[in-house]
Amino acid sequence: MLKLIVQRLLALVPLLFIVSVLTFSFTSLLPSDPVDLIIGDTGTQDQYEMVRERLGLNQPVHLRYLQWLGRAVQGDLGTSFFNSVSVMGAVMQRLPVTLSLTAISALIAIVIGVAAGVAAALRPRSWVDRFATIGATFGQAVPNFWFGLILVATFAVNLRWFPATGFTPLTESPSEWLRSVILPSLALGTSSSAAIARQVRSAMVGVLQQDYIRAARAQGLSARRVIFRHALTNAMVPVVAVLSFQITVLLGGALIVEQVFAINGLGTLAIAAVRQQDIPMLQGLVLVMVGLVVTVQLATDVIYGLLNPKARPS
Amino acid sequence: MSIEPDTLSPAMPRRARWRLSGAQIITGIAASVLLMLAFLAVFADWIAPYDPLRQSLMEALQWPSTAHWLGTDDLGRDVLSRLIYGCRIAAIAAAEATSIAVLLGVPIGLFIGYRGGLWDWIVMRIVEAVVSIPGIMVAIVIIAILGAGLHRAMIALGILFSTSFLRLARGVVLAEREEVYVRSARVVGASDNRILLRHILPNIAPPLIVQVTLTVGAVLLAEAGLSFIGLGVQPPQASWGTMLNTAAAFMDFNWFLSVPPGIAIILTVLSVNLLGDVLRDSIGRGIAVGVRPETPAVRFEAAASPSSEAGLTSSPRPADEILWVESLQVMVSARDGGEIPVITDLSLSIAKGETLGLVGESGSGKTLTGLSILGLLGAGARTTHGSILLNGRDLRTLPRKQIEQVRGNEVAMVFQDPTTSLNPAFTVGSQIVEVLRSKQGLTQKQAWNHAVELIDRVGIPRPEERARAYPHELSGGMAQRIAIARALSCNPSLLIADEPTTALDVTVQQEILDLFRDLQDEFGMAILFVTHDLAVAADICDRIGVMYAGELVEMADVDPLFADPRHPYTRGLLSAMPHASDRNPPLPTIRGNVPRPGTWPLGCRFSNRCDFKSAACDARIPLVGTGRQVRCVRAGEFDMEAVS
Repeated sequence: MLKLIVQRLLALVPLLFIVSVLTFSFTSLLPSDPVDLIIGDTGTQDQYEMVRERLGLNQPVHLRYLQWLGRAVQGDLGTSFFNSVSVMGAVMQRLPVTLSLTAISALIAIVIGVAAGVAAALRPRSWVDRFATIGATFGQAVPNFWFGLILVATFAVNLRWFPATGFTPLTESPSEWLRSVILPSLALGTSSSAAIARQVRSAMVGVLQQDYIRAARAQGLSARRVIFRHALTNAMVPVVAVLSFQITVLLGGALIVEQVFAINGLGTLAIAAVRQQDIPMLQGLVLVMVGLVVTVQLATDVIYGLLNPKARPS
Repeated sequence: MSIEPDTLSPAMPRRARWRLSGAQIITGIAASVLLMLAFLAVFADWIAPYDPLRQSLMEALQWPSTAHWLGTDDLGRDVLSRLIYGCRIAAIAAAEATSIAVLLGVPIGLFIGYRGGLWDWIVMRIVEAVVSIPGIMVAIVIIAILGAGLHRAMIALGILFSTSFLRLARGVVLAEREEVYVRSARVVGASDNRILLRHILPNIAPPLIVQVTLTVGAVLLAEAGLSFIGLGVQPPQASWGTMLNTAAAFMDFNWFLSVPPGIAIILTVLSVNLLGDVLRDSIGRGIAVGVRPETPAVRFEAAASPSSEAGLTSSPRPADEILWVESLQVMVSARDGGEIPVITDLSLSIAKGETLGLVGESGSGKTLTGLSILGLLGAGARTTHGSILLNGRDLRTLPRKQIEQVRGNEVAMVFQDPTTSLNPAFTVGSQIVEVLRSKQGLTQKQAWNHAVELIDRVGIPRPEERARAYPHELSGGMAQRIAIARALSCNPSLLIADEPTTALDVTVQQEILDLFRDLQDEFGMAILFVTHDLAVAADICDRIGVMYAGELVEMADVDPLFADPRHPYTRGLLSAMPHASDRNPPLPTIRGNVPRPGTWPLGCRFSNRCDFKSAACDARIPLVGTGRQVRCVRAGEFDMEAVS
C-alpha cells in the first residue's frame, strides 16, 4: 500500500508543476497592470517604479516564477493587492467554512447515493428502482443554488427550523455548526447524490450478476452479508473514481451555494478577488483548491487500492 | 425503439404498450420543451407581454396576477417577460459555450491524438491540471482575465468544457489509429490529413453528439450559477441566473420570485439530459441492464401436464439416497410478462457416495437444474412444480432463513469458472474462513486453521501462504481447488459441480477429477456432476442422465449407456465424441441446434433433429423404465441397431 501511495505521489509531480506554471502565468494574462492596481490613478512614476521593484516585476520571468514557487512551497502565497492581508491567512481563515460544506455535502451525497443505488439495483424495474432513477435524473437537472433557495424558503423562512444565513464555526458550537451547514450541504449534496446513485446502481447490477455472488449465496451466506460485504465492496470500485470527481464538483459548488446562505467562505473571497483583480488572492485560492483536490484524489486512490487488490502494485 | 405489434402477447397488452410508449412520451415532451424554448428565444420580442427592462417601482415584488402572470420583481419588471427573454440568453449561452468547446477541443484533441509524443504529453498534463481544479473556479479565473458578461463568461465555459471534447477526440483518434484500415490507407499513400478526415471524423460523430448534449446541460447550469454570483450575465439583462440572484435577495418578501426561473432551468436541463440519454442509447449499443433472458414471445402450450407423467417415472427410493428430485418444473418470465418453461418433468435421485452426471448440449437446462436445487435461480426464473428432497426435507417448502442454513451445510456448489466464482476483493483463505465462521460458528483462529487444513487437503502446496493470496494471484486449477475446499468446508452431503473442469487446461482437468474422486472417498458426499463433456462424465460418474431441451431423455448407469444408448439424441452425442483411436474421419454432428425454450416441438422435443422421426413422435413422450429410463417411442428398435 505504501508503494501505491509513493507511486501516486510521484505521478503528481508533473501535474503540480503544470498547475503552478498556469497559476503563475495569470499575472501576465490579466488585462490590468498590477502596479497600477496598487498605486491607483494618482500614483507618480517614482511610486510606480518603487512598487514594481517591490513586486520584483523588473526581474526576468523565470526567476520570478522560481521565487514565487519557493515562497508558495513554504506556505507564503503573497499579500493581497487590495488590502495587504496575507493571502495564506485569508484563505486559511475561510477554508474551514468551505471544507465544512464540502465534507458534509459529500457525506450526504455518498449516503443517499449509495443507499438509493443499492436499493434500485437489488430490484431492477421495481418501483424503488423507478423512483430512484427518476429522482436521479431530476437531481442532476436541479441547480444546487436554486435548491438552496427553496430550502431556505421552506425550512428557514417558513418553518424556522434552521438559520437562513450565516455560519457558526465547529469550534464555537458543534450543534450550531451542524445547524448552519445542514441546509447548504443538502443543497450541494443532492445533485451529487444523484450522480453517485446512477453509478452505484449500474455497478451493483453488474456485480450482482457475477459468479462469485451466486457462489457466495450457494455457500449459504446470508443475503445481507452477500449484498453488503461481497457485492458492495466490488461495486464501490468504479464508484470510488466517481467520488473523487464528485468531491471536486462539490468544492466548486460550495463557492456558489455559499452565496445563497451568505456564508463567508472561499467563494466570497474568490468573487471579491475577481472584482478587484486581486491576482495573489486568486493564485492562492487556485493553489489551495488544487491541494485539496489532490489530497482527495490520493485518499480515493488508497481506498481504491484497498477495495481492489488487483490495483495494488506487487 | 420500435413496437412490433406481434410481440405483444394478448395477456398483458395494456401494460406492455404503456411501458414502451412511456419512453416515447418522455422523448416527445423533452423535444417539445426544447422546441418551445427555441421558439420563445427567437420570437421573444413578439411574445413577451412587457418590455423585460421596463421598471415600475409602484408595482414592485407583486405576486402573480392577471396583469403579471408570474408577478413582478424588485424593480417592478414583469417576471414572465424576463423569463421569456431569459430563453434567448439560455439559447445563446448554450450555443456559444458548446461551439467554443467543440471548436477548441476537437481539433486539438485530433491533433495531439494523431501526433502523439511530446505534444500529446504536454497538452494532456495541462488538461489534467485544469480538470484538477473545480470547474467553477477555472471559470472564475478565466473571467478574472477576460472580465464578466455573457459572452466572456461563455468563452470561459467554452474553454473549461473543451477539455472533455479534447479527451474524447484524442481517445477516438488513438482507437481508430490502430485500426487496420487506417494503416492500410497509409500504405496506399493517402496523406495524413486525408486519413484524419476520411476515417476518423465519421467515427467521432456519435460520441461527439452525446457529449454535446451533456455539455449543453452542464453549460446551462454553469451559466445560471455564474450569473447568480454576478460573474456571468450582468444586470439589467434578463437571464435565469440573474433572476435567481434577485430572488435570493428578496426571499423574505416574495419567495415566489425564485420559482419561475428555477423551473425553467430544471425543465430545460432535464429535457436536454433526457434527449441525451435517448441519443446515447440509440447510438451506443444500448447496455441491457435487465436480467430477463431474451425469449421469444410464443406461448408454450402445456398440452400434457407434467404431473400426469410423474407416476410413470417414479422408481422405488433406495434407502441411502441423499437427493430426491421429482417432477421438477422451472419457468422463466418472458418479455411479455408471461412465463416459459425451461425445465419440465425432471426426476432424479442420488445416493450417498454416488456421482450422477447430467450431460447435454448447452441450453438443455443442466445448470438450471443445479441452481434450482439450491433455490438460486435468480430473478426472472422460478421453480413452479415438483419437489426437491434433500436428506428427506423438501427444500422448496423451506423459508428463506432455513434454506440459507441448508446451503453450505448440506449442499454446496462448485462453479464452472473458478477465477470468477471467487470474490476478487478478498483473500481466498478469508473466503473459506467466512463460510466456516458464519455457518459453523468457529472462532477466527479455529476457522483459519481449518481453512489452511482444507487448502492443504485439496492438494495445494504451502497452504498457509496460499491462503493469504487473492484469487487473481492463483492459476485456474489452483483457484478451482480453493473453490472445492470452500464448498466442502462444512462437509455437505451433496456437492453440485457445474462444469468444474471446463474452464481448465486439459492436464489440470484430470487432476481436478482425481481430486473429486479422492474427496468423495473420504467425505462420502453425493455429487451431481453437470458437464457437456461425455469423456469427463464417463470418467467420474456412476450414472448419467442425458438432458435435452429441458427434460431428461435417458438415464442409465455409465457402462450400459455408453455400450447401448437407447435415445437417438444420446446416440448422436456419443458418435460426436472424439476418440483417440479414430482421429481421421470427420466427427459426425447432430444437425441443427437445441431449440430455445418456448420454441420446443410439442411432441418429442428432439423430433425436428431426429433421423428416426415417426408420426408417434408428435405426441408427448413419457420417460419410461425403472433401472434404465428412456424417453423415446422407438427406443426398442435402436436397441437392436446399436448392438450390431
